[in-house]
Amino acid sequence: MAPGTVTLQTRGSRAGSQSLWLEALGNLRRNPSAIAGMLVIGTLILIALAAPLVATHDPILSMIGQPGETGRLQAKAPCIPLLGCEDAPHYMGLDLNARDLYSRVVFGTRTSLSVGIITISLSIVTGTLLGLVAGYAGGRTEDVIMRLMDVVMAFPALLLAISIVTILGPGLTNALLGITITFIPQYARLMRASVLSLKEQEFVTAEQAVGAGPLRIIFAHILPNAVTPIIVQGTLGIGTAILDAAALSFLGLGAQPPTPEWGQILSESRNYVFTSPHLVFFPGIAIMVTVLGFNLLGDGMRDALDPRLNRN
Amino acid sequence: MIQFILRRLLFSIPVLLGILVLTFGLARAIPGDPCRAILGERATDQICEEFERRNGLDQPLPVQFLVYLRNVAQGDLGDSFRFRRPVSELLVERMPTTMELGFSAMLFAIVVGVPLGVLSARRHKSALDVGTMVGANMGVSMPVFWLGLMLAYIFGVIFRDTPLALPPSGRLTPGASPAPWYEVWGLVAEGADGNAFQVFLSRFYLLNAILTLNGSLLIDALRHLILPAVAVGTIPLAIIARMTRSSLLEVLNQDYVRTARAKGLGERLVVLRHALNNALLPVVTVIGLNFGLVISGAVLTETIFGLTGVGRTLVDSITSRDYSLVQGFTVIIAFGFVLLNLAVDILYGWLDPRIRLGQGG
Repeated sequence: MAPGTVTLQTRGSRAGSQSLWLEALGNLRRNPSAIAGMLVIGTLILIALAAPLVATHDPILSMIGQPGETGRLQAKAPCIPLLGCEDAPHYMGLDLNARDLYSRVVFGTRTSLSVGIITISLSIVTGTLLGLVAGYAGGRTEDVIMRLMDVVMAFPALLLAISIVTILGPGLTNALLGITITFIPQYARLMRASVLSLKEQEFVTAEQAVGAGPLRIIFAHILPNAVTPIIVQGTLGIGTAILDAAALSFLGLGAQPPTPEWGQILSESRNYVFTSPHLVFFPGIAIMVTVLGFNLLGDGMRDALDPRLNRN
Repeated sequence: MIQFILRRLLFSIPVLLGILVLTFGLARAIPGDPCRAILGERATDQICEEFERRNGLDQPLPVQFLVYLRNVAQGDLGDSFRFRRPVSELLVERMPTTMELGFSAMLFAIVVGVPLGVLSARRHKSALDVGTMVGANMGVSMPVFWLGLMLAYIFGVIFRDTPLALPPSGRLTPGASPAPWYEVWGLVAEGADGNAFQVFLSRFYLLNAILTLNGSLLIDALRHLILPAVAVGTIPLAIIARMTRSSLLEVLNQDYVRTARAKGLGERLVVLRHALNNALLPVVTVIGLNFGLVISGAVLTETIFGLTGVGRTLVDSITSRDYSLVQGFTVIIAFGFVLLNLAVDILYGWLDPRIRLGQGG
């Protein structure tokens, strides 16, 4: 009898935890903002993966001397055959070096998505570890870590990233590093708060009572229970990281030419906004749509995964 | 309350010290020889030796840090090699432009954002609510420098020669030279310079125009300020509108609001007198956090709008690797940011007794 009861209970609890995730997923599927976000991000990931197929030209190839190109090519306005344009088609026009802007924007998707995802992953890993250690160890260790986080947060994020990149030297990798550092404190704080509240709960003290070591408690019990807010914060963070990376590139500190990167495209064409607005318009729209996608998904996830918000 | 303020002040000292340690550390992390990095091509062995002695670079690091602390405390942020002038002097000269822009942007964000949030919450799920929230979502997703460029194009080119046209560059119409207020007030002889503080105040063009009762100049300065302020203020506006809405929606569900309604109070009174007071508390925090966005916004848009403020100077110095200027400006901006947040904290404690008493222990 007794073993059967145990099996039943285990099954029951497993089914319970599964249904919790299923419920969250169900909530997510019913959340219009999450769906819109997922659609946008899904499309962008497809575009990034299939960039050579989606793009019409080589993103760093100048059209000067190419067959079929006529007239003045630098910063040429968009030419869409459907709208009655009879020149060689360029959906978003040509940039200052006569490169196809549409193809550059398409390839820029790769840079921006990777920058957003890599920076946030790096800062989540670092921040989570710091927060775990601070929350679990307490005492002097906690003080040192959290005061350090306070100092990093005392700077306006972009300004700190600028200072770091100015010193490390411009370039996409250094920009990535600079942005990563500015994001670490949020995850460290979030994680520490979760650890502090979970540490006192009965299932953790019970585990301690049966002799589980700190590593097991942290990775098997505390981390899985603290992961939801981190995921939500991380999704929203990707949008901000993409904006920051674009800003650094705009200032000449991020991606360097001829890399097709949206902020960098804006940076090289900003002085031509009055004469060739298409150079500025399209990359900006691309940034906005991407960031909007992550923000919508993040908002939707927060509503779907946080049971306290369900009543709204 | 005084105890609360003192405690808050005390808490910010380690953060301020940390900022100094961090910027000091960053400056020492400049690859290569700091002398050649800072002085560039002018640096010969002899100049570098002199430079190192003068800046205490031949001393051990802790001593160097103490020297740095003393210098900052005395307002000495080093010299900018690009301008060949003290960094602090440049900062004081260019701060008013940025502060004027920052405060107008923030004012725009609050004055438009809070009422939008309130309207959205009161007409929850109406077309107005959905529209505001879609707009707010787009607002927080836009790069501020792109918005600046587009606004400059729309109001400078598309609307040119219409009443909607706005100047996309500068602080005043070229050629306009405002008389400083201290001269108009007769505090100094005509043509003479005022003291440092008088000059500082006169660089706030709006304030100067008001103090000198010069209406046309005020309008000119305002018209020049609209585009940059809207560009910098849009993201904070979107955040404030969203926060006001969600916070008010939560408060409107609470028992005391139901009681107020049950007493037969009109909806207007319930929302404005009972609910909004409490709903605005989290909004105050958000406003504090948004100062960071405003500073970043100034850094990114001053160049676009041809404003010679702190942000533009910083950006120009990055490209010319004017390290002492970047370092000095960063320290002071971070200090200002901490102090602004301190002010918001204190305001929050004043508005919400639970905060100041809860931590009294």
